[in-house]
Amino acid sequence: MTDSHAPRSMTPMLVGAGALAVAGLVAFAWAARTNAPQPVDGALQVAVTETACAPMALTVPAGPASFVIRNDSSRPLEWEILDGVMVVAERENIAPGFTATLTERLKPGTYQITCGLLSNPRGTLTVTATAASEAARTAPPLAEFIGPLSEMQVRLIQAGAALERDAKGLADAIAAGDLGAARTAYATARADWARLGTATARASDLVNRMSPTAAMLAGREGDPGFTGFHRIEYGLWSQGSTEGLEPVARSLAEDAGALRTRLREITLAPADIAGDAARLARHLAEGQVRQGVNLYSGQDAAEFAAALDGLAGAAQVLSPLVTAAAPEAAARVQAEIDRTRTAIDAMTADPSPAARDRVAHGFTALAGALDALNPALGLET
Amino acid sequence: MKTSLALIALLLPGAALAQDAQLDPVAPMAEYKLYVAEHTQELVADTRAFTEAVKAGDIDKAKSLFAPTRLHYEMIEPVAELFSDLDVSIDSRADDHEGAEQDPGFTGFHRIEYALWEKNSTEGMAPVADKLMADVEDLAGRIEGLTFPPQVVVGGAAVLMEEVAATKISGEEDRYSHTDLWDFRGNFDGARKIVELFRPHVEDQDFLATVDTNFARVDETLEKYREGEGYQTYDKLTDEDRRVLAAAVNTLAEDLATLRGRVGLD
Repeated sequence: MTDSHAPRSMTPMLVGAGALAVAGLVAFAWAARTNAPQPVDGALQVAVTETACAPMALTVPAGPASFVIRNDSSRPLEWEILDGVMVVAERENIAPGFTATLTERLKPGTYQITCGLLSNPRGTLTVTATAASEAARTAPPLAEFIGPLSEMQVRLIQAGAALERDAKGLADAIAAGDLGAARTAYATARADWARLGTATARASDLVNRMSPTAAMLAGREGDPGFTGFHRIEYGLWSQGSTEGLEPVARSLAEDAGALRTRLREITLAPADIAGDAARLARHLAEGQVRQGVNLYSGQDAAEFAAALDGLAGAAQVLSPLVTAAAPEAAARVQAEIDRTRTAIDAMTADPSPAARDRVAHGFTALAGALDALNPALGLET
Repeated sequence: MKTSLALIALLLPGAALAQDAQLDPVAPMAEYKLYVAEHTQELVADTRAFTEAVKAGDIDKAKSLFAPTRLHYEMIEPVAELFSDLDVSIDSRADDHEGAEQDPGFTGFHRIEYALWEKNSTEGMAPVADKLMADVEDLAGRIEGLTFPPQVVVGGAAVLMEEVAATKISGEEDRYSHTDLWDFRGNFDGARKIVELFRPHVEDQDFLATVDTNFARVDETLEKYREGEGYQTYDKLTDEDRRVLAAAVNTLAEDLATLRGRVGLD
């Protein structure tokens, strides 16, 4: 390596800054040495030359592993561990002739390592299972749920924002007296609502204002408590008019805003993701699917499809953990989602009791499949 | 009292677990993804306007949109650069490629930057612009579907500062347009967002004070070069200011490398 201190990649216009950049690299190399987590015993040595890694294949047991990377090429080096196209860990900017240590906790699997120039071949890193990694697979430690829980929260907050936006759209269409636009806007906002089904149970006060059904009220459609979605639906379809609906729609939009704020403050526990989903699936199967929800517009298929999207989202968030812990449980959930979707797609505007039955059976079976997830992840339910 | 609490914990295992400090990063991680989602949307919209200007051969307009468009990419870089294939096709530099500027693998923002500033032309850039737009849309879709890995994302703030300290500070990133200060703004804002979100879970107030001081120093320095909505070209930066910036960034890189551990994610 006679040319290891003569970077040929420096373009002329950068030469003025070159000295500073080298100073930066040196300062950084020092900082990295003093701040990196303590390397674990048995660190693996890997050198990167102009054309390859040496060695090209590494094997470590699962858990914390340290890599001492030496840059034997003439360019600043970025060394990455990849899982498919995703970067799992990286060390940036190792100067020519310098070494850097990377310490990372790795899960069993086969990874790729980058070796300098993009056109250089990649090496492989095999992480083998240990007793500890096997135990963590079937009972993931709490920290493994940070990602799924935050993702679940993101989805709920985003769905809440969509509901707030579309409820405003509904109110605007009603204010404009445009019946066709109002009916379309109702369907859009109602789907947002159904997608939030796993979380709305945590805001029953809002639910009672936003979506009571006439059947639950003493005065039925004439009851002053008959507000929210179905009051609007009743007006738009049964009465064929937007008249008098604007204040109802404005209140609905306001409550949607309150719900969105509430969703930001919800604290979910790991077992809630599958637990809330199973509860909703069962709730739908036992009531709404058979009795109908949107009695005036008949738009139940869209409602159940959106509710199913919400359930599928919960399953998706847990999928990486479940697939590792119990692949058959993950596959069963997916199969029941697919089967339920087929039954919903077959529903017409005025579905037969048999068609409703098939959807209800789908949600019941899905609830059963979701029930299996928490035990599969070592979570108490 | 103790008994009743224990009883509640037994009845509501979820509620008890939710209080566990190990799950403190859940809320900041969710907020961070919402932040990234917002800027990803802006990146998609701005990239559309930028690539349309390139394809229309409107060199002046394309030049004026280059830096503001990249700003959003630089803000979300700790996440964007997790997708190694798109990081290369969207944001690689000529010297990442064997054939430098002439390498057919050299695509994305900097390939177009090279055409606009070095050649003062958009000739042959239509397919590069189409590819960049498609890649940015692909990136947006992948980010939406990604459960953010907490360790990698929080560590990403430090990695980004390291990258600024070690290479970007030389002006290598936007070497044809010298719009580096815009990129710095994006990188600092993106890293600072992570610090802000996790701040309530960091105990060491001295650590936070040092980080704040260095971010403030960066702000003051960048502010001197503000021009309209953006910044003067990088060659206007005085040697003294470059030294100030370099020192602040080095310290930030060093400090932020410890953030992951401080919030219990090591």
